[in-house]
Amino acid sequence: MKKTAKRKINNIFKNAYIGFVYLFLFLPIIVIVVFSFNTSRMNITFQGFTTKWYISMFSNTTLMEALINTLFIAVVSTFVSGVIGTLAAVGMNKFNFRGKRIIEALLYVPVVIPEIVLGIALLSVFSILNMELGLFTIILSHITFSVPFVIITVRARISGLDRSIEEAAMDLGANKFKTFIKITLPMIAPGVLSGIMLAFTLSLDDVVISFFTAGPGSNTLPLKIFSMIKTGVTPEVNVLSTLIILVTIMGLACVTFAQARKIKSIKN
Amino acid sequence: MKKGKNKDLLSMITMIGPIGFWMILFVAIPLVYVFAISFMRKGIYGGVEFAFTVSNYLETLNPLYLQIFIGSLIMAAISTIVCLLIGYPFAYLISMKSQIKKNLLLMLVILPFLTNSLIRMYGWITLLRTEGIINKVLIYLHIINQPIQLIYNNFAVMLGLVYCLLPFMILPLYSSIEKLDMSLLEAASDLGAKSRKTFLKVTLPLTMPGIFAGSILVFIPALGLFFIADLLGGSKSMLIGNIIRNQFLTARNWPFGAALSMVLIFITLILVAVYKKAGGSMDDLV
Amino acid sequence: MINKTIKKIISITIIGVISLTAMTGCGSGKSKEKGELNVFNWTEYIPESVVKQFESEYGIKVNYSTYSSNEECLAKLQSSAQGTYDLVVPSDYMVSIMKKKGLLEKLDKDKITNFHNVNDVYLNRDFDKGNEYSVPFDTGAALIAVNTNVVKEDIKSYKDLLNPKYKNSMVVLDDQRILIGIALKALGYSLNETDDAKLAQAKAYLEKLKPNIKLYDSDSPKSSLISGEASIGLTWNAEAALAMNQNKNIKVVYPQEGMYIFIDNFAIPKGAKNKEAAELFINFILRPEINKKIVEAFPYKSVNKAAEDSLPDSYKNNPASNIPDKEMIKGESVKDVGAATAKFDKIWSEIKQ
Repeated sequence: MKKTAKRKINNIFKNAYIGFVYLFLFLPIIVIVVFSFNTSRMNITFQGFTTKWYISMFSNTTLMEALINTLFIAVVSTFVSGVIGTLAAVGMNKFNFRGKRIIEALLYVPVVIPEIVLGIALLSVFSILNMELGLFTIILSHITFSVPFVIITVRARISGLDRSIEEAAMDLGANKFKTFIKITLPMIAPGVLSGIMLAFTLSLDDVVISFFTAGPGSNTLPLKIFSMIKTGVTPEVNVLSTLIILVTIMGLACVTFAQARKIKSIKN
Repeated sequence: MKKGKNKDLLSMITMIGPIGFWMILFVAIPLVYVFAISFMRKGIYGGVEFAFTVSNYLETLNPLYLQIFIGSLIMAAISTIVCLLIGYPFAYLISMKSQIKKNLLLMLVILPFLTNSLIRMYGWITLLRTEGIINKVLIYLHIINQPIQLIYNNFAVMLGLVYCLLPFMILPLYSSIEKLDMSLLEAASDLGAKSRKTFLKVTLPLTMPGIFAGSILVFIPALGLFFIADLLGGSKSMLIGNIIRNQFLTARNWPFGAALSMVLIFITLILVAVYKKAGGSMDDLV
Repeated sequence: MINKTIKKIISITIIGVISLTAMTGCGSGKSKEKGELNVFNWTEYIPESVVKQFESEYGIKVNYSTYSSNEECLAKLQSSAQGTYDLVVPSDYMVSIMKKKGLLEKLDKDKITNFHNVNDVYLNRDFDKGNEYSVPFDTGAALIAVNTNVVKEDIKSYKDLLNPKYKNSMVVLDDQRILIGIALKALGYSLNETDDAKLAQAKAYLEKLKPNIKLYDSDSPKSSLISGEASIGLTWNAEAALAMNQNKNIKVVYPQEGMYIFIDNFAIPKGAKNKEAAELFINFILRPEINKKIVEAFPYKSVNKAAEDSLPDSYKNNPASNIPDKEMIKGESVKDVGAATAKFDKIWSEIKQ
């Protein structure tokens, strides 16, 4: 009896700890959601309750346009950095080649170099290459600073993985591509998932580099929000954030239920 | 000898090719550009003049800037340690849950970060203000009598940094901890090791890659997140990021800004190399 | 483990993503169309409705981007290809810098017929004699805002701000030229003084002021005034106006020693592809009824004398928005001090340590 009681208390502490960390992470989110009902146009003090912003937000065309641009940029840059980064992480773990040290050192540069410096430098590169500024150039720059995050995260996963399974698969006749897809990828999946989640948030939030590499008229959500500071960031932005979170929660709930049901059906 | 050398080369090119190409075009070339500028002279009205000089680098040795460098490094280091202390138990506990719960909990960590960070910082300002929510709650609960200053000081900056960078610690940690073979831990306890010893001698070393990755991904960006010091710290301190930004904007002294950036990159690469050496055989770990 | 449906979804996504990327990369011939205008302006300066009105009246598509500091504008302009932008809005000193670097086109004043609507006080200034390259858009100042509910004393000058009673109660602009400039003015010197001894005195003044400063904020100083976090502010006049709207206890003071003032101007970058459209836009903004719309949305001081009578009372009676011209004349603008800029930067870094 003592042991189960001890274990129960242990569990409560563990779950409480997890709960506190989530509370910390979500505290400002709660404020954001509450303020989406604020009557005051400025996001400073809460003055009264209203739902008017939930209606007016959808007619705020520049905000919607910026949202779509940002989502597009984030999805594309995350996808490309995910692919390039995963391939690179696996390759660098497997092979030794001349210049490996240089590439490893170069990987840290986009992470440490101040954003304004990287932004201006990339802008100059685009000018030299005679590239027209637009969503495409923003995507290219986002991939540049996201790839290192993917690589570092995936390599943390690969390090120490049992390679004998891969060798066994190949001995049994699978070619390299098949081995990669069916054996390697599932093994490193949590690492890849973590990496692309980081890349996604980096892209969603980027201001400085986007400022320098955006074309005249290609507006992103973070840029738009930063531009609203002078007259106060309207609660419409809070509404947007609340809705994004809501949609994501619903998506997560659906996926979780689908998974749970699948496991149940397997059990039966 | 089934696999010919060509097939090896092909798969190596497929994997390393893209990153190699990308690094050269979008990292090496900009880096060379910045490096070149750092040796030029500031133009009269801003911009650069093509005249070779090392004066920019000499200027970085000014005690004022060295002080600021060290201050930024310390702040980044403290945030990293705090993130590690908070994030490791969290990642560990999550990785023990069932498959479905694990993924869900991980997504929930990222969820707040789908919101724009500026808005989240404003949320913190509303919470931390003198007449903000936290002070109001503390006074209501009679824990304090007068509001305490929770914002526009170092406490707020540290809180902001840890808040923004926590996922960058949790995710790599999780990715490394999750693959822990539980049977190893069971074997250790079967052999009589107490849980603390198991942790120190088995768990910790096995999750070192995750710790390393997380620390890197927190420490390095922490050096540059000066906007948090501006928003939550009231812009009262100068960090190396502020200085460099000023050189490219207000002071219009691009060469000096470039020199400072190169020094920053250099210091970071050295610190990473030292960290790797200290970690022992982590050569395959970037 | 990866079943067929998931495989299908992944392959469709991959194909979709690749084709979309290809489309954005290739489909960038947009600005070769006739009737486009690339405007690069300060944030929150021209309301969307005004831009849309221009678009529908002239059939010209406006691509509108924003920046939040002169130097950001300069940095982007310098590093991008010539002709990326057709219209920028630099402040006084930045106009002279851009001119000297050959970044601006001469304006064709014949096309800008409403030029005479501009208040003479703001024309023919040192930074662009004869207004060959620039036309004023608006003007403003950095003044003192006081929450009279908390601060009972009568504040009249910068020197009054040193009162130890105001410990940890001020929000000030995060701008080195302005803060050091104000210290210089408090000591009776010019905002643009570069003499080392005088600058050292200014630094000492700021060290004395430092304990009173709760935070620096150039982006939204009004927030601290409205929330009560700060009871005195050295802020932009427009920010003070917005704060006054939210809190009736906030009053503004035009400091005795004279304010820092700025004039923001339209200018056309060299190589602009749509110069004529840009001049049409400038002319459009100078219309009195358009100026009224702008002023109603954003409370900066108007430079449009033809619009004066029609401007709303909320603007005319607001001492933060409608600063009397005679106070503006007393004020001083930042001038580019060339090599001495480094001195200001150093002092600023030292003060913030």
